[in-house]
Amino acid sequence: MAYQLYRNTTLGNSLQESLDELIQSQQITPQLALQVLLQFDKAINSALAQRVRNRVNFRGSLNTYRFCDNVWTFVLNDVEFREVTELVKVDKVKIVACDGKSKYGIRYK
Amino acid sequence: MWQRGPVMLPSLFQALHQLYYDPNIENKNLAQKWLMQAQVSPQAWHFSWLLLHMDKVPEIQYFGASALHIKISRYWNDIPADQYESLKSQLFTHITRCSSASGTASLRGPWAAFHLGCLLLVALVTITYRQWRGGEADVRDVMWESCATQGCGSPGGWGARGMCSSGGMDALAAHAGEAMPSIDSGCACRYVNTLLKLIPPVLGLQEQLRQAVQSGDMETSHGICRIAVALGENHSRALLDQVEHWQSFLALVNMIMFCTGIPGHYPVNETTSSLTLTFWYTLQDDILSFEPDKQAVYQQVYRPVYFQLVDVLLHKAQFPSDEEYGFWSSDEKEQFRIYRVDISDTLMYVYEMLGAELLSSLYDKLGRLLTNTEQPSTWQHTEALLYGFQSIAETIDVNYSDVVPGLIGLIPRISISNVQLADTVMFTIGALSEWLADHPVMINNVLPLVLQALGNPELSISSVSTLKKICRECKYDLPPYAANIVAVSQEVLMKQIHKTSQCMWLMQALGFLLSALQVEEILKNLHSLITPYIQQLEKLADETPNPSNKLAIIHILGLLSNLFTTLDISHHDDDHESTEVKKLPVQQGPNPVVVVLQQVFQLIQKVLSKWLNDAQVVESVCAIFEKSVKTLLDDFAPMVPQLCEMLGQMYSTIPQASAIDLTRQLVHIFAHEPAHFPPIKALFLLVTSVTLTLFQQGPRDHPDIVDSFMQLLAQALKRKPDLFLCSNLDVKAVFQCGVLSLKFPEAPTVKASCGFFTELLPRCGEIAPVGQVVHENGKVLLQAVLEGVGGQASRSLMDHFAEILFALNKHCFSYLSVWIKEAMQQDGFPSARVSPEQKETFSQQILRERVNKRRVKEMVKEFTLLCRGLHGTEYTADY
Repeated sequence: MAYQLYRNTTLGNSLQESLDELIQSQQITPQLALQVLLQFDKAINSALAQRVRNRVNFRGSLNTYRFCDNVWTFVLNDVEFREVTELVKVDKVKIVACDGKSKYGIRYK
Repeated sequence: MWQRGPVMLPSLFQALHQLYYDPNIENKNLAQKWLMQAQVSPQAWHFSWLLLHMDKVPEIQYFGASALHIKISRYWNDIPADQYESLKSQLFTHITRCSSASGTASLRGPWAAFHLGCLLLVALVTITYRQWRGGEADVRDVMWESCATQGCGSPGGWGARGMCSSGGMDALAAHAGEAMPSIDSGCACRYVNTLLKLIPPVLGLQEQLRQAVQSGDMETSHGICRIAVALGENHSRALLDQVEHWQSFLALVNMIMFCTGIPGHYPVNETTSSLTLTFWYTLQDDILSFEPDKQAVYQQVYRPVYFQLVDVLLHKAQFPSDEEYGFWSSDEKEQFRIYRVDISDTLMYVYEMLGAELLSSLYDKLGRLLTNTEQPSTWQHTEALLYGFQSIAETIDVNYSDVVPGLIGLIPRISISNVQLADTVMFTIGALSEWLADHPVMINNVLPLVLQALGNPELSISSVSTLKKICRECKYDLPPYAANIVAVSQEVLMKQIHKTSQCMWLMQALGFLLSALQVEEILKNLHSLITPYIQQLEKLADETPNPSNKLAIIHILGLLSNLFTTLDISHHDDDHESTEVKKLPVQQGPNPVVVVLQQVFQLIQKVLSKWLNDAQVVESVCAIFEKSVKTLLDDFAPMVPQLCEMLGQMYSTIPQASAIDLTRQLVHIFAHEPAHFPPIKALFLLVTSVTLTLFQQGPRDHPDIVDSFMQLLAQALKRKPDLFLCSNLDVKAVFQCGVLSLKFPEAPTVKASCGFFTELLPRCGEIAPVGQVVHENGKVLLQAVLEGVGGQASRSLMDHFAEILFALNKHCFSYLSVWIKEAMQQDGFPSARVSPEQKETFSQQILRERVNKRRVKEMVKEFTLLCRGLHGTEYTADY
């Protein structure tokens, strides 16, 4: 199973909205919708790991940190994000980070 | 279609055919479900072997292999202990057959290798299980014994005799590699002897690895590398802890180092080295996690290894010859760029371990390279070393490094003969901009290079971004150079050397630069900088609108707004510590940006009068003022009346969202400035009136305007609620528009509408017109909210609807208890899927919860799932 944390993104929410509509109009079953979501998880995890290579540096003051169930959650204040030419400052950032190296189970297909 | 009871082969074939080839989704789902049940049935022990015969098509063989794997993984207890050997033997027999077949014409392609990999994985899992159950079984001995029984010889010979095709080796290694972590860290510490015994056979593959590298067999080298990295990366901590076997693990580390430094350029000549990069992170993390005493010992061994790694990575980061690079496709160049970024990340991480000594080492190498007249260096070598510096300086605070002055001194000595080298020089200077801010005496060593590069279109991105960084970080030390910087920038802008984006960045850089000057100097430089553009704009304003002059107008307006984004003489964004010494005294008199804006205001109005119908031009005009307002804040006050009048005229003629957004900014900043607020109030009322007219005509074509309008209303309620006391404001009409907006399909519009109501409802008590409207029309609002919860709105918006319910409950409780009962009495409302009892339960829950907003959100989410028929499904399990 790939990480599901990208479901609550614009793309993930749009997909779920479309799937909800198809379920409500009985064009697909909830089970098939789940399979689609699982495929979305795989696809987006893979795409983010392999196809996105822009780098943004950031630094700020660490307000809180938490490590639970192999997931890190940080809250930072007064954060600067630096890309090639852009510098963006924000008051508060919450970072949820899952282990990028975890191995997935043996897949059926 | 297929028989119940014992699974029959014809049924399996039929189901598989249906799964793969039936066009009907329902049939595929049925077939999948049946096949999954078949795989776990008792008959699977029997039929899986039958399906593995070579005469079957790959899909059938794969299903058989997969079924066998599942049976062994989950139903191990079905196998009597005295049959383990027989089972292993059968497995290896089949592996051998597949290996032989993959080398012949009978079964080619990825299926054979994949099949092979699956079976080997099954075997490994089998052996692992046996080990867990039996106690001291030795993984390697079992594998060796099995291979010997089959006449395969050693695993090394096994591979050497082509038992695995080159494609097979990679798949084999992939599955072996995937199997390694299945002996996860919890087990690893219990079976560390087994891990240690895995190292020699892996090291035994080194010769084969070297041969594969020499012969250019990428798949074999890739496969062997994967095995070594899998063992090292997944079990480095367990193996590091075996102090008495440190040499063995070090040998594995050196094998991985060989893989990192594999000859050839990535990705054209090799694709293996990138596999090793995460191993180095893991090893470093494990070493640095030891207690200080133990860490010191390991550092003695591994610091030299990591210095070697740096050399290897910098070598791998080198560009190929110009001629060779010219033949690469754009995709290969992009992959190489990404690879270099990965190397950069690794170097940055390695700095944590090696510290300042790493920078000293890089500096020494660069110095020797540049001063060695006997053996001139290649530009690739120089560029790679600089790239190493850049990688570290970009993210690490190098302020305390004593090599940076020397590095800055070396930069002018670099013979820049090549675009890639020039780019890296620029980016390295940019990475050192914060250091330069603390050592301004060195600015003059690098600034001429940057200004010279500005004239080269090939260095557009690197030179402009570097200048911007320097202007941002070092602005207080740049006044002596300001005239020169402005002159060079003006020249390149006039010559149109750079693309639009870089022109905008350049204006931002100039904004930073001018911020640090005295007001008279700022005005003088502004005048010389923007006068040519003003003249151009005057000419364009007289012309008849057409596509080409539209682009020119938008470009000029963009330049101005980017300049005003960063031209901030009040120093709001400055770091307090650094400005204590350098900060200029607070400016007296009007802000120079305001002076300029007032001078160009009429011209902008003239442009607008011709381009009022064009959303992009209007947006560009609004952007100038929006960016200026954000930077100037209170200093913008003198412009407020003129701007409000312009916006009012603009919006009355053609309503556009950008005008509302600017109005919102003005409300936000000047809400508590009684002297400046009257024109803003008039503008707010005008915008509201025009938008209400738009709603009467049909707002569906303008979701962006509705979105912005709802946000404006929310902002007004937050910052200046007494705007809603104005007799000119039809609160009821505004309320009704909000209710309509809740039904838009566009999520941002609905969210903004929810935000409006969340701000409005708490004001029931303090603003009489609001209270009256809510009490008279609140039921309609509740109806709309419940419709949304019932399924009309996206599930992602339920939290926002919940906030409205919470606010109604808190501020209109007595009304809500009546409204909700009446609304829920309607049959089939808000969904035909919920029963009257469920509706009653939900109503009671909402009414009871007046304190905990999170709880209300949970209730709404549960109820919406019921309404949509999704409650209890796995699909929404994490909702």
